[in-house]
Amino acid sequence: MFETRSRKSQVILQIMVTIAVIPFLIPIYTMVVRSLQGRGWGNYVAVLQVPGFARFFLNSAIVAGGSIAIIYLATMMASFGFSKLRLKRKEVFFWMMMAALTLPEVVLIAPLYATAVKLHMMGTFWSVILPIAALQIPFTVLITRGYIDGIPDALFEAARLDGANSWRIFWSILMPLARPMAVAIIVLVLINAWNAYLLPKVFLINDNMGVVTLLPEYFRRQYNDDTPKILAAAVITAIPTIVAYVTLQKQFERGMAAGAIK
Amino acid sequence: MAISDKTIDAVGLSLAGRRGGRFAMTARTVPGGLKWILPGFIVSVGLIYYSIIYSGYLSFFDWGGGRSQMVPVGFDNYVQAFHDPVLWMALRNTIAYFVVVFVVQVVGAILFAAAMHSKIYLSNVYKVIIVIPVVVAPAIMAPAHIQVWQTNGTVNAILNGLGLHSLSQGWLGQSTTSLMVIILVSSWGSIGFGFILYYAAMGQIVPEVLEAARIDGAGNLRILFSVVLPMVRPVTISLAILNFISALKLFDNVWLITQGGPAHSSEFLGTMIYAETAGTQRNLGYAAALSMILLVVAVATAVTIQSRSKEKTRKPKLSKSTRELSNV
Repeated sequence: MFETRSRKSQVILQIMVTIAVIPFLIPIYTMVVRSLQGRGWGNYVAVLQVPGFARFFLNSAIVAGGSIAIIYLATMMASFGFSKLRLKRKEVFFWMMMAALTLPEVVLIAPLYATAVKLHMMGTFWSVILPIAALQIPFTVLITRGYIDGIPDALFEAARLDGANSWRIFWSILMPLARPMAVAIIVLVLINAWNAYLLPKVFLINDNMGVVTLLPEYFRRQYNDDTPKILAAAVITAIPTIVAYVTLQKQFERGMAAGAIK
Repeated sequence: MAISDKTIDAVGLSLAGRRGGRFAMTARTVPGGLKWILPGFIVSVGLIYYSIIYSGYLSFFDWGGGRSQMVPVGFDNYVQAFHDPVLWMALRNTIAYFVVVFVVQVVGAILFAAAMHSKIYLSNVYKVIIVIPVVVAPAIMAPAHIQVWQTNGTVNAILNGLGLHSLSQGWLGQSTTSLMVIILVSSWGSIGFGFILYYAAMGQIVPEVLEAARIDGAGNLRILFSVVLPMVRPVTISLAILNFISALKLFDNVWLITQGGPAHSSEFLGTMIYAETAGTQRNLGYAAALSMILLVVAVATAVTIQSRSKEKTRKPKLSKSTRELSNV
């Protein structure tokens, strides 16, 4: 985009970009250096030996996996219905769903907290998975419906002439053809569910149900502000996410870009 | 009965001739759509509309949650909210946050995206560094940010190293600087997100357009802001809406770095609602009233931005992005 015809201008651009990147490295650098203060790598060993450390990752995986499964299936089914089947007042249903597109989750916590207490759902994974699903589905349906609208009706008609019913068409034609959407949906929900903080903080109050985003606070309580250990825990928690991003760079970027057309 | 690949191929090949014809239309008339949309509809519309209605109901009570008595108070919670200086502080902070983060994000992201589209070594390394703050949860990075900004932290060390001792200060503990820290930390995380979108959008620009501008004598920055920026306008509008929503619901960074303090100087609606929902001195009715106010502001703003942007561009906003997705 920037034109760098001479060698000199190319070097200048390279230097400018390098300088511009420094502020991005400062928190990461600080985090790693301070996590090694005191006992060095011993901090990491101590953190990994805390009983129940793996539990946080398992719980995050449960929340993310549950959210992905519900959202993916509900989205595919709803998009199929909206796009290829007959339904009275279809657009009314669709716009009722779309009205929730830009809703911030924080407006849900007061009523959901009151409801969860009444229904004894505090401290269950459902109390986090269902709100995450509710907030994501309008958006995933919007992009998936758009995608499925682009698949020719004739394809479904041909299958019907061959005698396939709606279930058969859904599993054997729609699901394979809409697979490119699966990547975008899974990545989008994975990032949102794995990084969710407010909902788990409010609803997952039991100690053995903590998710990874609650780890820094857990260690603050455990170690009375032993900063190096808190930071060591943060580094360990951040690594899987960074590795996932670096290996699946394209998919991550596509998923996030999909999230922006709200 | 098996659906042979041949059937699909045959239909696929002859599509051009049949599209929109009577034969193609019949697929749409298959009934039974309702049961297909129902699961998603119940989970999302059901839960969300229920929450909003219940929130509206709760906002007319004082309620400490659990077994305590619900006291009907009429519109008192709303009256109290509009007389609450903390709410006005939170709204002021929300606007300051939105303006600064949005401007930093657009300018920073466009410059980085343009640089990465130029000839540059190790561009993928730079890209990963910029995007890391987007994929790692704010809740996990928060302890690191505290270390950067605290009195004996990295920022003060850098200032002292540069001989600017007078500038080093307790950034987090002062009501004059706490909001600034929150805004800077969020900007740090938002540039990478804008970068991804602009980078993708710039890839669609035809090189001839830039070449023409260059022949007309436009410089690099001039081309960027007069030619490229107008062409990626849909992305900028999306970023404006997303930023406004994230300013309204901001919670993670604030709660973990400053807790909204000192003296509410970095308070946001998200932290207020959380404190009233799950804090020690909770009043779920007041939290619900604040939620309703937030909801009205969010919906009104999103509708305004969207309708104003439609007047200007008159392009179907979604079609392009959806098309990009279909090229996956």
